[in-house]
Amino acid sequence: MGFLHYLRIWLACARYSIVRTMMFRFDFLMWSLVEFFWMSVNLLLVAVIYEHTDSIAGWNKYQMLLLVGTAMILQRLMMGFFWSNLFELGRNIRSGQFDFFLAQPGHPLFMISTRKIDPDSLINSIVAIAVVVYAVRQLGLHPGAVDIALYVALLACAIVVHYATVLLVVSATFWLIGSQGIEGTYFTIFEFSRLPREAFRGVTSVLFVYALPAVVVSNVPAQTLIHGFQPLHALWLLGLAVAWLTVAIFVFNRGLRRYSSASS
Amino acid sequence: MISSLTKYCHAFLVGLQGNIVYRWNFAFRGFSSLFHLIVVFTLWGAAYAGKSSIGGFDLGQTLTYFVLLLVLQFFIGAFNEDYQISEEIRNGLINQFLLKPINYFLYRFSIFLAARLVSGLLVLVAVAVALPFIYHHLTLPTDAWRLWLGLPAVALSAVIQFSIAFCFGLLTFWFLEIQSFVILSYAIETLLGGQVFPLDLMPASIFRISQFLPYYYQMYFPAAIFTGRIDRTQAIEGIGIQLFWAAALLGIAHLLWRRGLRRHTAVGG
Repeated sequence: MGFLHYLRIWLACARYSIVRTMMFRFDFLMWSLVEFFWMSVNLLLVAVIYEHTDSIAGWNKYQMLLLVGTAMILQRLMMGFFWSNLFELGRNIRSGQFDFFLAQPGHPLFMISTRKIDPDSLINSIVAIAVVVYAVRQLGLHPGAVDIALYVALLACAIVVHYATVLLVVSATFWLIGSQGIEGTYFTIFEFSRLPREAFRGVTSVLFVYALPAVVVSNVPAQTLIHGFQPLHALWLLGLAVAWLTVAIFVFNRGLRRYSSASS
Repeated sequence: MISSLTKYCHAFLVGLQGNIVYRWNFAFRGFSSLFHLIVVFTLWGAAYAGKSSIGGFDLGQTLTYFVLLLVLQFFIGAFNEDYQISEEIRNGLINQFLLKPINYFLYRFSIFLAARLVSGLLVLVAVAVALPFIYHHLTLPTDAWRLWLGLPAVALSAVIQFSIAFCFGLLTFWFLEIQSFVILSYAIETLLGGQVFPLDLMPASIFRISQFLPYYYQMYFPAAIFTGRIDRTQAIEGIGIQLFWAAALLGIAHLLWRRGLRRHTAVGG
């Protein structure tokens, strides 16, 4: 089964999701509003703190806005493309509905990861991009096509890390059937991605900058726009993406072997 | 009167038993909240670097405010009461309450108190674990009046929190799906309740407007009394407005219940 086959499956799923969203237009509007409001909450936090200080760990207001905007793009894309699918994976394993995915015409991991897209999150990713563009203009930066391409490539690596983290957490359900709510760990971990790396000291730095990929995912792309391309940082993020995805796929496949369905 | 109280005492005890079953969920949630505290300590620690005060308060006062907010959230915050009420309406489970001499609001409120007692005690365990790392940041004023005004403020906050959740749950009489309303309201409550930043850091005019909204009295107000962010006169004035909102929300809840029941159709036996 080649790339074209999977692309066709994904396009069919995406079309179904959009048609379904258009059937429940009020719901779509409300959820878009909910996400927009939550994003505004994060921006207001930045605005209020910088009313009282000029710098947080060496980051000025618009640099911080760029960082928060980058973290928001990542989370919106993650929510738009993968969150519902991976969230439902846990539920499906518990209920035995996961059987259904094993019978579909593609690798189970692809089938569970791409079944739905959430247009309300994707719409809000445009707002997050606008925040980044606004911050870039306020900082007087003029990134060229190569800088933007590098920023996008680093965002792609960061999305892989987000995806792998959720997959890893949800795959625990294969072993811990009664682990409802474990998916929320994702939000706990990536709350740190809205903070500058330099704000972390001692143990928290070891834990959230080096041991967990919570901070690097947003800081490396944002710093690339602010200070230019830093190969070592880019390699760090790329390495993290490869390592986390490899571990997540390994754990998922091991879990898949344990899966024995649920009683009917 | 006494038999009526006994009725709700039983509901409280049943709620207590029901919530003790979920003790590990609450404990997990409590310990997860410690990660949020790390974010708060990191962010505000960096913001205070080289400064002795922000908005007239030092780092210790601001960090104490957030720790107290976390504790209050587990003791008086509405978690999923709106969904539970919504589910009972949608599944027709409220039908049984319509035939019994029991007030549905008071019944749910008794269960809410039981749930918060369990979750509140469990978050204290989480905070106790974190205490050796954070105690040197914590600073509480010692004025006795803060306790005497703070405790009724906490009780009224619980009433406001629950009443808002109850009203949102009752929206199920009109809408099939209330999740988006609830999360939107939660976002507004989080912001205007002072959980994202202390409200007194907002520009003075916006802060003044926020004092007339019910959200101010959900979390910020009791936390601000205990942590010394407001003085005695502001606290007494605040309790007056808080009483008004508690009464108004109880009235709205009663009205929604009566109107909602008129639309409700009980099917099946």
